[in-house]
Amino acid sequence: MGENYKFDTLSLHAGHIPDKETGSRAVPIYQTTSYVFKNTQEAASLYNMEVGGHLYTRISNPTVAALEQRLAALEGGASAVACSSGMAAMHLVVSTICSSGDHIVASSKMYGANINLLQHTMPRFGINTDFVNPNDPDAIEKAIRPNTKMVFGEVIGNPGLDIMDVPAISEICKRKNVPLVLDATFNTPYLMQPFKYGANIVIHSLTKWLGGHGIAIGGAVVNGGNFDWGDKEKFPTISGPHFALNGISFWEEFGPSALIAKIRAEGMYNFGPSLSPTNAFYLMQGIETLPLRMKKHIENTHEMLDFLQNHEEVAWVKHPDLETHPDYKIAKRILPKGSGSIIVFGIKGGREAGQVFIESVQLASHLANVGDAKTLLIHPGSTTHSHLSSEAMKEGGLTDDMIRLSVGLEDINDIKKDFEKGFRAVKKLGARC
Amino acid sequence: MLINFKGAKTYIGTGGKNLDNSKTTICFIHGAGQNHLSFIQQSRFFANKGYSVIVPDMPGHGLSEGKPCKSIKEIAKWVYDLLKTLDVNNIIILGHSQGCLVALELNRLYPSFLNGVIFVAGSNEIPVNQFLLDLSLSDEQKASNLMVTWGHGIDGDMSINNWPGHSHYGEGNNVMKMNKPKSLNCDLNACNNYKDGIDAAKSIDIPALAVLAKNDQMTPLKSGQKFVELIKKCETHVLDCGHFLQTERPKVLNSLILSYLLKL
Ligand SMILES: Cc1ncc(COP(=O)(O)O)c(C=O)c1O
Repeated sequence: MGENYKFDTLSLHAGHIPDKETGSRAVPIYQTTSYVFKNTQEAASLYNMEVGGHLYTRISNPTVAALEQRLAALEGGASAVACSSGMAAMHLVVSTICSSGDHIVASSKMYGANINLLQHTMPRFGINTDFVNPNDPDAIEKAIRPNTKMVFGEVIGNPGLDIMDVPAISEICKRKNVPLVLDATFNTPYLMQPFKYGANIVIHSLTKWLGGHGIAIGGAVVNGGNFDWGDKEKFPTISGPHFALNGISFWEEFGPSALIAKIRAEGMYNFGPSLSPTNAFYLMQGIETLPLRMKKHIENTHEMLDFLQNHEEVAWVKHPDLETHPDYKIAKRILPKGSGSIIVFGIKGGREAGQVFIESVQLASHLANVGDAKTLLIHPGSTTHSHLSSEAMKEGGLTDDMIRLSVGLEDINDIKKDFEKGFRAVKKLGARC
Repeated sequence: MLINFKGAKTYIGTGGKNLDNSKTTICFIHGAGQNHLSFIQQSRFFANKGYSVIVPDMPGHGLSEGKPCKSIKEIAKWVYDLLKTLDVNNIIILGHSQGCLVALELNRLYPSFLNGVIFVAGSNEIPVNQFLLDLSLSDEQKASNLMVTWGHGIDGDMSINNWPGHSHYGEGNNVMKMNKPKSLNCDLNACNNYKDGIDAAKSIDIPALAVLAKNDQMTPLKSGQKFVELIKKCETHVLDCGHFLQTERPKVLNSLILSYLLKL
């Protein structure tokens, strides 16, 4: 009672105490779609959102709820909802807060699908976005209009690793009465808790570092509970009358958890991007070791930064913990434990060298993911962006020699040796030319 | 709903239903530093069980404007005037923590006004230590966070919640943050200065219900148990949780309240 457990403890315990009936120490996997009502009165209570409980796994499930409560505790948020992927989380937030005619201000340097959703999909539904530089608070302020319903960005941008000045931008959002929504996938609550810096909503791709083992896709929306949705004209979906439940206002009925209550009552109910209980279990297993893993991820990342910066085959290295990074100062301030375990670097010899490097390493896996315990690599120039010319890639902030490295937890000397193998192949290529 | 009451915008939760004065009315009185949201899992439940529900945000709390009341007596008078204005009859008062002192005072000042009285985590006195009183002035948010932490049992520490995905601490801290600055200090002083609890408890002539918590660090169980001894007719239950029974044990609490109401 009143223990205020620390982060490492919450990573292991939050959301679950040993089961009273069976004594099960691990979180049980409630692999069920539905729950028997004790009586009609209980059923009605659940449908009316009078008391908490489970009625159908599309809306909530005890195993998934343990994960949600663990995430809420780790972020210091009021409540959370877990869902089928990071993109599902993003869609839940946008579709719950915004309606046709509304406007979003978003970072121009984000994960491709985050950009695509806002640039191409949402406009079809009348929701338009202005993209601005994430480290330019003035530009963000100028882009906010009366119909702007959220400011969105990634704390650490994927793949450019731009750092958002969260304290400065949250001040602007507060002044403008617009919620600040952050994708905190790359930092995880271990490296930085956005609510402490004034953000209002956090979304995660649990697929990445939180799950940490590359075995389950999942996402979550965590609600800070620190935003006043009381303006009915501006936020009618949260504080105006709901389409069911006798037209209640979620803001008045559920206060700090209004957003999550609405996401369950509308998003989970009507779109249904629910997370499977077994995947929730896998993701929670990952979270149990999040602090240990993140520590080692950062250690190995710093070792790799030294290694790459001093390597003759490397043209350039980008990471916010390097003084040469334009956002180094803000990273030091808001990410003092380290700015994540993604490194981007350029290989001498351009697109072809990148391709040879990727094909010559053995330990590092060439794939489209980040945040696995294992070291991962991708060379956009020969994969996701292979159809683009070098010039076109540059326009999008990418170069054809760029490799994205997600530093894993292997013995650091093995990773370095593996990279040497790749660099030797690149060197041979250079000699041949 | 929002009404204009005593010149201030005043919010009254109704559990999502319209008030109906032909029904028995349950008026929920929140605790120190709280507001209507401490009864999320009671207001809608009882509004859907055939009762008319009134959950006011006291002045300066939650969505209500106005200056916070300075004493338990002042709050009791405010509640009395509000209920008179709303023209409700057949009234049951449910208080949580400081709200229990308000319920006691209401019954002492206006005998025969109430038809039933329910004390949740209650006592006849709530002394507040000087440290918390001072902190509520110098760092209101820290004081609130401490109260939220002390106020919960293991469910708070471990983020265990029957409302899927909700955190007692995260939610509790933000509920308290909604109140106007300095309101917490007013509440804590009102609690600390209330000395009429023993007489008020002895003067209760209606059957009462008390639901206390085993691990209550705000109104300790021992104090609550002494308190219920003072009441002529009081059905008492002790639940295995902390001070915030409404969110820690909502289902058991609701069913105890419901069976008490059905016996009245
Ligand atoms: C920053 C960021 N956000 C969101 C996502 C989407 O996550 P998911 O694949 O779980 O939908 C990704 C995936 O790569 C990502 O890198």
